[in-house]
Amino acid sequence: MSGFTFSEKQEEEIAGILAKYPFKKSAMLPLLTLVQRAERVISPEAMVAISQKLDCSPAYVQSVLSFYTMYHTEKVGRYMILFCINISCQLNGCDKLLEYTADKLDIEVGGTTADEKFTLHREECLADCTNAPMMRINDTYYGDLTEQRIDQILDSLD
Amino acid sequence: MTQILFKNINMKDLHTMKVYEEQGGYQSLKKAFDQKPDEIIDAVKASGLRGRGGAGFPTGLKWSFLAKDVFPRYLCCNADESEPGTCKDRELLLKNPHMLIEGMILCSYACRIETGYIYMRGEFHDLSFIMDKAIEEAHAKGYLGKNIMGTGFNLEIYTHLGAGAYICGEESALLNSLEGGRGEPRMKPPFPAVEGLYAKPTVINNVETLCVVPYIVNEGAEKYASLGTEKSKGTKLVSVSGHVKKPGNYEVVMGTSTREIIYDLAGGIRDDNELKAFIPGGSSVPMLPASQVDVGYDYESLAAAGTMLGSGALIVIDNKANIVETTLRLISFYMHESCGKCTPCREGTRWLHQIVERILQHKGQLEYVNKLEDICDNMAFKTFCPLADACVSPVMSSIKHFRSEYEEYFKNTPVGSV
Amino acid sequence: MSDNEVTLTIDGKSVTVPKGTKVVDAAKQVDVDIPVFCYHEKIGPLGCCRMCLVEVEKMPKLMTACTMDVMPDMVVKTTTDKVEKAQKGVLEFTLLNHPLDCPVCDKGGECPLQDNTFKYGPPDTRMEFHRHNNAKATPLSPVITIDRERCIACQRCTAYSERIEQDRGLVMLNRGFHNEVGTFNNEPYDTRFSGNVIDICPVGALTNTDFRFKARTWDLTNAETLCANCGCNCNITMGTRLNELLRIEARPNDAVDDGWICDKGRWGHQFVHSKNKILTARENSAGGGKPTSFPTFPRDCTIEEAAGKVAEAFKKIAKEHGPESVGFIGSPYGTNEENYLYQKLFRQGLGSNNIDHKPYRDTPGLPIDHYGIEQIETANVVLLIASDPTEELPILDLRIKKAVTGCATRLVSLNDQKIVLDKYSTQSVQYKVGSEALAIDALANGLARELGEPAPTQDVGLEQTGISAEDMKALVETVRSSMKICVVYNPSALSGDAVLRVKRLLKLIAKVPTMECGAIPAAPATNAVGAMDMGLLPDFYPGGVSATDQEEIKKQWGEDTPTTNGLSALEMIARAESGELKALLVHRSNPVIDFPGGARVEKALRKLDLLVVHDMLETETTELAHLVLPSSGPGYDEGTTTNIGGRVQARKSALEATHAPDWKIISLMLNALGDETEYQKSLDVTDEIAKKVPGYQGINRRSMGKSGCTRESTTSTDETIAEQPTGSGEDGSLRLRVATFLFSHDKILDASSKLAHHFLSFTAHLNTEDAKRLAIKDGDTVLLSNEDVTLEATASISNRCQPGGVVVPRVSDWQGVNALIGTDGTLARVEVRKV
Repeated sequence: MSGFTFSEKQEEEIAGILAKYPFKKSAMLPLLTLVQRAERVISPEAMVAISQKLDCSPAYVQSVLSFYTMYHTEKVGRYMILFCINISCQLNGCDKLLEYTADKLDIEVGGTTADEKFTLHREECLADCTNAPMMRINDTYYGDLTEQRIDQILDSLD
Repeated sequence: MTQILFKNINMKDLHTMKVYEEQGGYQSLKKAFDQKPDEIIDAVKASGLRGRGGAGFPTGLKWSFLAKDVFPRYLCCNADESEPGTCKDRELLLKNPHMLIEGMILCSYACRIETGYIYMRGEFHDLSFIMDKAIEEAHAKGYLGKNIMGTGFNLEIYTHLGAGAYICGEESALLNSLEGGRGEPRMKPPFPAVEGLYAKPTVINNVETLCVVPYIVNEGAEKYASLGTEKSKGTKLVSVSGHVKKPGNYEVVMGTSTREIIYDLAGGIRDDNELKAFIPGGSSVPMLPASQVDVGYDYESLAAAGTMLGSGALIVIDNKANIVETTLRLISFYMHESCGKCTPCREGTRWLHQIVERILQHKGQLEYVNKLEDICDNMAFKTFCPLADACVSPVMSSIKHFRSEYEEYFKNTPVGSV
Repeated sequence: MSDNEVTLTIDGKSVTVPKGTKVVDAAKQVDVDIPVFCYHEKIGPLGCCRMCLVEVEKMPKLMTACTMDVMPDMVVKTTTDKVEKAQKGVLEFTLLNHPLDCPVCDKGGECPLQDNTFKYGPPDTRMEFHRHNNAKATPLSPVITIDRERCIACQRCTAYSERIEQDRGLVMLNRGFHNEVGTFNNEPYDTRFSGNVIDICPVGALTNTDFRFKARTWDLTNAETLCANCGCNCNITMGTRLNELLRIEARPNDAVDDGWICDKGRWGHQFVHSKNKILTARENSAGGGKPTSFPTFPRDCTIEEAAGKVAEAFKKIAKEHGPESVGFIGSPYGTNEENYLYQKLFRQGLGSNNIDHKPYRDTPGLPIDHYGIEQIETANVVLLIASDPTEELPILDLRIKKAVTGCATRLVSLNDQKIVLDKYSTQSVQYKVGSEALAIDALANGLARELGEPAPTQDVGLEQTGISAEDMKALVETVRSSMKICVVYNPSALSGDAVLRVKRLLKLIAKVPTMECGAIPAAPATNAVGAMDMGLLPDFYPGGVSATDQEEIKKQWGEDTPTTNGLSALEMIARAESGELKALLVHRSNPVIDFPGGARVEKALRKLDLLVVHDMLETETTELAHLVLPSSGPGYDEGTTTNIGGRVQARKSALEATHAPDWKIISLMLNALGDETEYQKSLDVTDEIAKKVPGYQGINRRSMGKSGCTRESTTSTDETIAEQPTGSGEDGSLRLRVATFLFSHDKILDASSKLAHHFLSFTAHLNTEDAKRLAIKDGDTVLLSNEDVTLEATASISNRCQPGGVVVPRVSDWQGVNALIGTDGTLARVEVRKV
């Protein structure tokens, strides 16, 4: 399996990441994150490439990545919507808003729109409880959600 | 009310070196470097500061437990804030990153550490940019790097992102994750102070804990210790969320009554409903009914009331809420976040979920409630880490205080139906 | 009580154990049973299953006995109400989603989950919902089936992969309730040691595909015997039913295998039922071709009669042409008893020292201690010379990894090829193929210089080995400064007289002050050490007594026994070719394939007046034989073997043979030649060995017991070594190194083998430098040739050896790679060219 190579820029970034740790296996999550953000998916080929960088078995890479929810082995949309459904958000009516969002995007929760623009995931607490209900789209937190605000936010993304 | 961590929290550009220094930032370094490392540890001990992440272990004591003469040592700042209801560290990281760096420098000097990692939950990717920028600024100022301020003391601080696992907030799971593994908790002993990161002595402290240290060094342990109650010293950040008018993070002096926090600071119950229950320290601690709202917000008073201060997340539930539904949501969370290593947690969280789900579907039987209690008993304190205990908390406390709400579901259920 | 011991109380019983012992293990010593699933003594604590919760005084919570070290004055209680409720609770959780398909589960009857539930479990479950369904039997590899529904996620198997195999091929995937055991991208888990996960799985989640639904475990007849596939002699249990071998399991012996076996040990014994098994004596109508002096062999002749006739025929030839006209090529796979009797037959019965068992040079005994395998763990330096344990002696590979990662042992190697274990070594020094004599002498010289001893040879030739002076210096320093060194060398991978140079080096190592030292002669064959000890040698009688030691020999073996050195195996082949050797008996050996020379060996053997082959499977050599005798072989035979660590253990029969055992056939031959000893059973021969063979005194059934005992190593005699080791010039051809490959497609692992998925194709490993010169690219088809043959292989540009060499793993019998080596067994040079 050799279908995955890091770009030159990524190689530089990887060198910087590796320099942070006395043992290179510590770079596991950073490298997985790098691939996930660049590719929106982590393929078996990428796992092999990472295992070679870190001198471990590809099975170990898969074992680690499958433990964490932010890594995906199926490609996600350009916008990853993490919709918090935990207690503070629940108390503030997130369930209906999640349903609303899914209907609006015409997908099931957990699914991706046909144009690969949005993926909508139910998410556990994202540590923004004082702004509940809230969601995270890519790196941005959006709090105090209402149907109108969700419309506004989603419509503003291209 | 005394504000230590949130004094300038909403000041514009506090996250920059310039503004932070204008407000007296990094002044503690000089003071600290004039002292011996052990003196700092003694001061932190004397301040009575206890870990703000959840367990409340005395911070100075933790630092003094590091294995003697074993180097290198590591500092891990636990910024994996994931306890439902908790969002105070996020605010600190977002608005005042230099305060954490200053605290980490002090801790590292005191514990003779040369490498520190800030383990942030993966969803805080946005904050990692802010933090990295702050670290860069501190480097440029000579507060980090080699021979800091001519003392011969070296320190590098790096951010490290998780990737979505609540369990990584547990300190030994955090270490496994930082070492590039699955976030499964480790056996203790050995404790991190003896064999932590890369099997070397390691200090692991919460963001808020480390942010307090500059104040202690600047103002003296006595001043900090003068705040709060006999055994709970200083101030605490409280994330108030749920059915309140003004949800938010508030800094309160230990021992403040919970009523004051809910009704004065957070503006009281939303829509002028009535308070039904509150979870004082994040989803992992037992909930209390409205009748106990006058409990003092400190370690001892909350413990006496049968709950814990935990991470300082006060979740407020009004009388319109369905306690059984809320409990199910929390079980669901722990089921999702269980690492799966220990049988009682892996199987128990799911079983509890199945049962409560049935109850909500009116498919349960009255003895389900007793069964829930017994399953909880079989889970509690029988696992590697406290995640199973945390899952048991909402179940046991909701049954304890709101048993009738469970029983309500069986009124019209034919006997024997499943 | 020493400082290193701790006394505690468990259920009211006081017990003293070494510091660091886990409570669960301490409890065993006072017969307190603490149930476990995830804990395994050899893997170490995991703390997953929570089955071993116990109450400890002064501790508020229940504690897991498997993760807790004993503490002085600790008071442990395992039967309190609190503990019993916890045990019931944990078992209820464990069984919540377990399918309870015990009636069709292979683990049934030997299942810790069944047993613990029976002893500690709740009478009933309160689970009233549908059990979670998961994938039922799916292949984890061609030989292992995984049933994810039965899995209780104890992580024993994945911890085994991480801590014992240390390659993390088998891992936990996903999280929480969705945890499952798996591999990368669903690829097969097919390591060399994968089968051990079957033994350690505490439920029926990992099962032996070959054994599935074959029998209920309680219906098996279990023989406690030994693996016969390499020189480690791992302890195994052969489970049979109705005289059919159904499965093999590990039978832990810390002194040998540490509780593990390799997959060849587990699945590589199917040859016992091979259609190529020789079951009767027969005259070979196809073979020979020319008239022999062998008496006509009656059709319905019994094996017993045949044995007598073979003896008579050999006697006749020896009488006509002299005892030097007959010879015996024995086997490093035979038992000590068989080997002992055969040498006795040829020496006492026929007066010939033409006895050997190998195509390379070696001498019995060592100038220093012969270390057992377990000594690897206490050595602080292990030095490998020409040895590749992973392929040759797999269980040694696990032991070395354990020592390096867990016992602070340093591994260094002096090899002509890269090996898997290099990953664990602090220094891997590589000499050019064929330059081992120079490399070993350089190490010895360096050491001598450090010690102020006279250098064994002149300082020449280091540059011919391709080793830098710095590397050699570092290696010398490691050896000199070691506290306890264990040298592991493979005599069969040393050409010429290099093995004698190793022994000279060992003598020097012994001179390092304050150092403990020992060696393991690590030839891969099952009983290579035993064959040396039993005197299957042209120049040594049993126990390392020189064949020219007239006085000693006459005293022990009688007046008529020969006291001049006989012919080595290769010399016998040469004399057969020249017509001087008339009759040859071959026991459990296949010279046509396994000896250097290929077709020339075949041609030589065809010239013999009489070729008798006594073997268990049909081979290229049995095809040539005038007469074939059946040999029982592993599974059927009984006897002892001596492993690479000098441990003598009993191999027991698991299956009933339809013909007389080897020892019986040989003893009948002996009787026919006038020997009057009446052996009733194999153990009678064992007893005679104890009397006659130095080092084997006192070895009998009782002293061996279930786990064997160590024989005393004899001191090797000093041999004359040529002053200047012969270097070799450059002529553009490459020096050939035939490397061992564990899963070679041969008579033992034939086409029907369960391990056929491991078979490799013919590959030639080249150095980048040579590849460039020869314009060969990775994956190219190349031809390897000498004057006689040309073989086709795929090139791998792997830098497995230094420039000037080519490494060819021996992947099958049909590959015929030994044909590339001259019949004299010296260094082979081959031309390599692209097709």
